[in-house]
Amino acid sequence: MCCDGCVTCVSARHCRPLYAFAMYRRVFLSLSHFQQPVVFPQDACIYSPKCISAATPRIFRAAAPCGYRGLSTGSVLCSEIKDEPPPLKTKEKAQEERAEETSPQTGRSGKEKLLALLGDMKVQVTTKRRARPMAAAPGPVQKRPEPRPGEMESTISMFQEATAAGGKRDTLNPALVAAASAAAASLPDGSRVESELLQQLRKHEAVVQAQAGQRADGRTLGNIIANMKVGRRGHPNQQGARRALDDDEDDGAAQRHAQARGVGGGPDGERKRRSQLTGKRLNIFSKTAGQDAVAAPTLTLWDLELANAIAAAVKAVPRNGFEEMIQWTKEGKLWRYPIDNEAGLEEEAHVPFHEHVFLERHLEDGFPKRGPVRHFMELVVLGLAKNPYVTVNQKVQHIAWFRDYFRAKEDILSEAGALQN
Amino acid sequence: MAALCGGVVGSSFCRNHQLFRLLHKSFIGRLGCNHVAAQHTAPSETGSAQEIIIPRKKKWNEEAVLQALASTVNRDPTASHYRFQDDAFLTPKTSSEFKLFSQSQEAGKNAAEYVVNTYPKYFTKDYAEPHVPCLMPDTLKPQVSDVSEGALKELIQLRKVRQAVSMYDQLLQAGTAVSLEMTNDLLDLICFYGDQDPQQEETPDQEKSEDGEEQELPPKSRRGRSRKLEVWRKDNNAERIFNLMAERSERSYSALIRGMVKYGAQLKAFDLYADMLNNRMSVDVNTFNALIIAAPEVRQKYNEKWELIVEILKQMKEQGMRPSLLTFNAVLKSSRRCGPAGRMQALQTLSEMKAVGIEPSLASYNHILAAFYRTVFGPSASFSNVSSDILHKVMDEVSGKSFIARDPDDVHFFNYGMKICCSLKDLGLAYRLHQLLGVGDNWRFLGSPSQEAHYYGRFFHLICMMETVDTVLLWYRDLVPSLFYPNSGAMRDVLQALDTDNRLDLIPEIWKDIKRLGLSNKAGDLVEEVLSLMARDKHSPEVHESFAECALEVKATYGSGEQGQVTLDWTASALGNIASILLAAGRTKQAWDMLPLFKANNRVPAEKLLDDFLSSAMLRGDPQRAVTLVQLSASFSLPATARLAQRVQQECELNEEHKTLLVELEALSHDKD
Repeated sequence: MCCDGCVTCVSARHCRPLYAFAMYRRVFLSLSHFQQPVVFPQDACIYSPKCISAATPRIFRAAAPCGYRGLSTGSVLCSEIKDEPPPLKTKEKAQEERAEETSPQTGRSGKEKLLALLGDMKVQVTTKRRARPMAAAPGPVQKRPEPRPGEMESTISMFQEATAAGGKRDTLNPALVAAASAAAASLPDGSRVESELLQQLRKHEAVVQAQAGQRADGRTLGNIIANMKVGRRGHPNQQGARRALDDDEDDGAAQRHAQARGVGGGPDGERKRRSQLTGKRLNIFSKTAGQDAVAAPTLTLWDLELANAIAAAVKAVPRNGFEEMIQWTKEGKLWRYPIDNEAGLEEEAHVPFHEHVFLERHLEDGFPKRGPVRHFMELVVLGLAKNPYVTVNQKVQHIAWFRDYFRAKEDILSEAGALQN
Repeated sequence: MAALCGGVVGSSFCRNHQLFRLLHKSFIGRLGCNHVAAQHTAPSETGSAQEIIIPRKKKWNEEAVLQALASTVNRDPTASHYRFQDDAFLTPKTSSEFKLFSQSQEAGKNAAEYVVNTYPKYFTKDYAEPHVPCLMPDTLKPQVSDVSEGALKELIQLRKVRQAVSMYDQLLQAGTAVSLEMTNDLLDLICFYGDQDPQQEETPDQEKSEDGEEQELPPKSRRGRSRKLEVWRKDNNAERIFNLMAERSERSYSALIRGMVKYGAQLKAFDLYADMLNNRMSVDVNTFNALIIAAPEVRQKYNEKWELIVEILKQMKEQGMRPSLLTFNAVLKSSRRCGPAGRMQALQTLSEMKAVGIEPSLASYNHILAAFYRTVFGPSASFSNVSSDILHKVMDEVSGKSFIARDPDDVHFFNYGMKICCSLKDLGLAYRLHQLLGVGDNWRFLGSPSQEAHYYGRFFHLICMMETVDTVLLWYRDLVPSLFYPNSGAMRDVLQALDTDNRLDLIPEIWKDIKRLGLSNKAGDLVEEVLSLMARDKHSPEVHESFAECALEVKATYGSGEQGQVTLDWTASALGNIASILLAAGRTKQAWDMLPLFKANNRVPAEKLLDDFLSSAMLRGDPQRAVTLVQLSASFSLPATARLAQRVQQECELNEEHKTLLVELEALSHDKD
């Protein structure tokens, strides 16, 4: 289940901030049922930019204790949550599923179970306080009317309402009270249970209020999320290393990096100019107009010297041994990475190995098919095949030399009977 | 034995086999579980994970591994530059040593190269396997001796301008037709070097001219100066050959126009350009670029200059030429010379650049800055109408980007930007600029060592002016001496920063650096400032003690004139300050030792100093010293002698001898009055 959380978080990185908010909420809700809430703050840090990282832990300070109370229903919910493709599912649908999933639990009754459910419900209170009653505890939910689809049309409206609802937090939500009384009605001694339930609820509410009060500036979850920007944060050194490795690196990454830095704000972060150095243009050229200048057929002296001038302008003395090695590599004094034993064999690079090794085909014509000469030549070929120091051309020439030699000595050989066919 | 073994092995195998089957079962079971689980999670995986994009195959270049390694090495602020690490004895301590050592290193390399290239016959053995071309001597002597096109080609490759021209003439006289390609190559060569043989060693000369030019000017004037020596002579070989040519291609025209622009014959270049247009030839981008550079020279009025540039650009468009980065940089460079209206035009050019899809280089931004801030550095410097706005905007655009050199002028950006920051006293901007320098390979754009020194000098000056002393010291420790060898001005800035934040107790430390940087026996006023700051205020005894130590060291630098070493001349204030520092630290004896030095160096002590000495003598109840002091004062014929004598008479218990002496002295000084 923590896997699920991870996946959500990672994909949230690619979403627009608004959508990220929905996701955030969803993760937040599902988290409350997870056994390991610790996972989440880490993941949250991945995509929360620096500016809100101070605020993020606060949310979890509120959420963490609830997570540990994930109870019997929690596990049921977890398996169900795992099945749905997290970032794509709408909130509404998830809610419906949840309602269906929890319906079999109606059979379960008993005070201790209810209290356990209440422990679960506390989580919902924390989120519901700002959101909507639809996220109420799974137990009582079946007794409640199904949430109207219109209510959850978009997370934006929810968000707006959530901030609006922030005002009336000192009283218990009537829907909750109704749910509690409904739950209590199913038990014997209903009134006592109901009052206990409500008392329990109020206690939780008070705790939540107290925790909310700690946020001195009255920042709500909504505010934090509104301020949150989805950015990418990478260790500058890592990025540098990566950039060095990439031969043709994408400029986009550098720009994103720059933007992420910009959010962080330098000494003049307040100075934000949208339209930088853009304005009227000359309007002479158009983007597509003009064929790409006919690539100069020959590299003229001017081009060479321009390249030299640019290189000389930025030619800096190496700052460390590696940079010196880079310089030497460019000058050709050093082995080129990756180091193999084929350095300097440029003209041999396109000669396949079998040309070197299988030289018998050069014995096809000009040599006898059998006999001592053939035997000798086979040995010569064997030796040549094992010689790595001469080129194929040289090997062929070597064989050709013997061909001429034996041809010249043909009469002697035939006299000696070496050319029996 | 073997059977026993077999039995044991067999039974154990049987047992193991059962175990194995069990294991296997559970393993299969688990596998099955996994399989189910995999199926179970599969849809959510595919739903959440975006399409798998197989990355393109990357071809790493040869330096990629080394670059990655190099990026892991940070600068050590306590170490000297890498190039000096071979020999600890040659670690430079001062800027002049730095210059000397690095230049001699360069010179050594050049000398070796020269010897190898001049006497290639002694360097024939090829040690490297595989062959390393740069280790072998370059062929500087032409190998082909007969009169042929091949010989001409070789001469052109070796850049022997005069020999190539005479070879061409010989070929023509012999009636051999030289191909158009070859003639164009020859024209390129002649025009590039302005019909003169290239200088043998270009690099050392450049270094010299750069270093000699300490008050560094905008790049334009520097280049202008070096170019003044070479001019486009009328009817030179290039023009002559050009006129002799039976057919002329665009390249011939282009070479001539570029040569004319380079060597200051702009009007001729435009005539030739008109010829080209009349012949309905297409003009290439490089020629247009050269013409844009030349445009401000051939028109008088600002608006006419700009109109000409626009006309050239329109012509480009008409010919269907795509402008390059260098085109726009040339426009920006020329717009600097189009007067006040050039600013708007520069901005428009930049927008045009972006609209066309050409990423501006650092040189583009440099030209824009120059267009806006030129007045700041001009003779009529007026800060009133100059805001830091444009530099802010430029910084917004460039910050965080790593640049690649695409224009020789790219290297001027950082230095010029820091110059502006310094004039505008905008520390935030300076920090941003410095941050940009740290991105990627941007440090390469600092340019020559002298430019680098200017950059850091200005940056440090600004920090000293604007920052608290703690930050100043942080930067000081970071920059000095690994990147920056401060001059006396920079050290004075540090002292001022210490003074403003009341951290004068750090002066002895700074003094050590001053001494190490070799400023102690060069910059007399700096030493005096150190002394006067130490002598000025009252501090705790420990501080006074350290000051006294420091003052004695300072005294040593004055006195010790080892043979040939230039020392500073004592001044009255230096002597007085040292004496009063020693007095304040209670080192009476050493302080009294200072007094004879006044006489020896023909300096007159200040009255206040004598008062201080007198007080200290009285405090110790030493009438002998007090009287000596009055005598000294009388010997300088100071007007205060009488007052001092009276004071001694009143406050000390004197014997008769002293009394008469004092009366005499008093009378003497009164007489003088």
